Amino acid sequence: MKNRLKVLRAERDWSQGDLAERLEVSRQSVNAIETGKYDPSLPLAFRIADLFGLPIEEIFLKD
Amino acid sequence: MAHNPAQRRYMRRMIPLSLVYIATVMLASWLIPDDAAATPLTVAIALVPALATSGFIWAMARYVAELKDEYVRMLEIRKMLVATGLTLALASGWGILELFTNVPRVPLFYVFPVWCLGLAVGSLVNKVTIGDAGPCA
Repeated sequence: MKNRLKVLRAERDWSQGDLAERLEVSRQSVNAIETGKYDPSLPLAFRIADLFGLPIEEIFLKD
Repeated sequence: MAHNPAQRRYMRRMIPLSLVYIATVMLASWLIPDDAAATPLTVAIALVPALATSGFIWAMARYVAELKDEYVRMLEIRKMLVATGLTLALASGWGILELFTNVPRVPLFYVFPVWCLGLAVGSLVNKVTIGDAGPCA
């Protein structure tokens, strides 16, 4: 699944570590999600969406 | 190196369990003569270290259950699946060889250490397929 996490993070000038801290996950996880190596669970996807104040479908896109 | 609370708790459980394991194996070796008969007493003494190995398994299960990071948990579970598959394949393969040929008998004691080595193979599989080995808990 593609996602706009890297762009959204860059818009806020957050590092992967900053985002990881806000989501209470490891930096490894943020990197894996951003690069499409790992699709987050629905609860984590909702946490990401809440953090950016966007609906899930504006962050995660169908391939 | 423990990076998150689950890993720290895991180490806090594994270190004393390992010390108990080493101490009870040494004690059993000292108390039970070589090739001793399986009496209730020798069996009871010999099973004490097995309590510690069961403790290792409990500590690993708690570690996975307490990991809050779902991606890291997935990496750990993948390692354990690789280790389990490898151990089952090696044990059943060697078992069949033992059934039909005169290869040396391998004590069942080695199943657990082989599984632990399988975790290292699991890390390698994670590294090759996902790019992340996962933490070394």
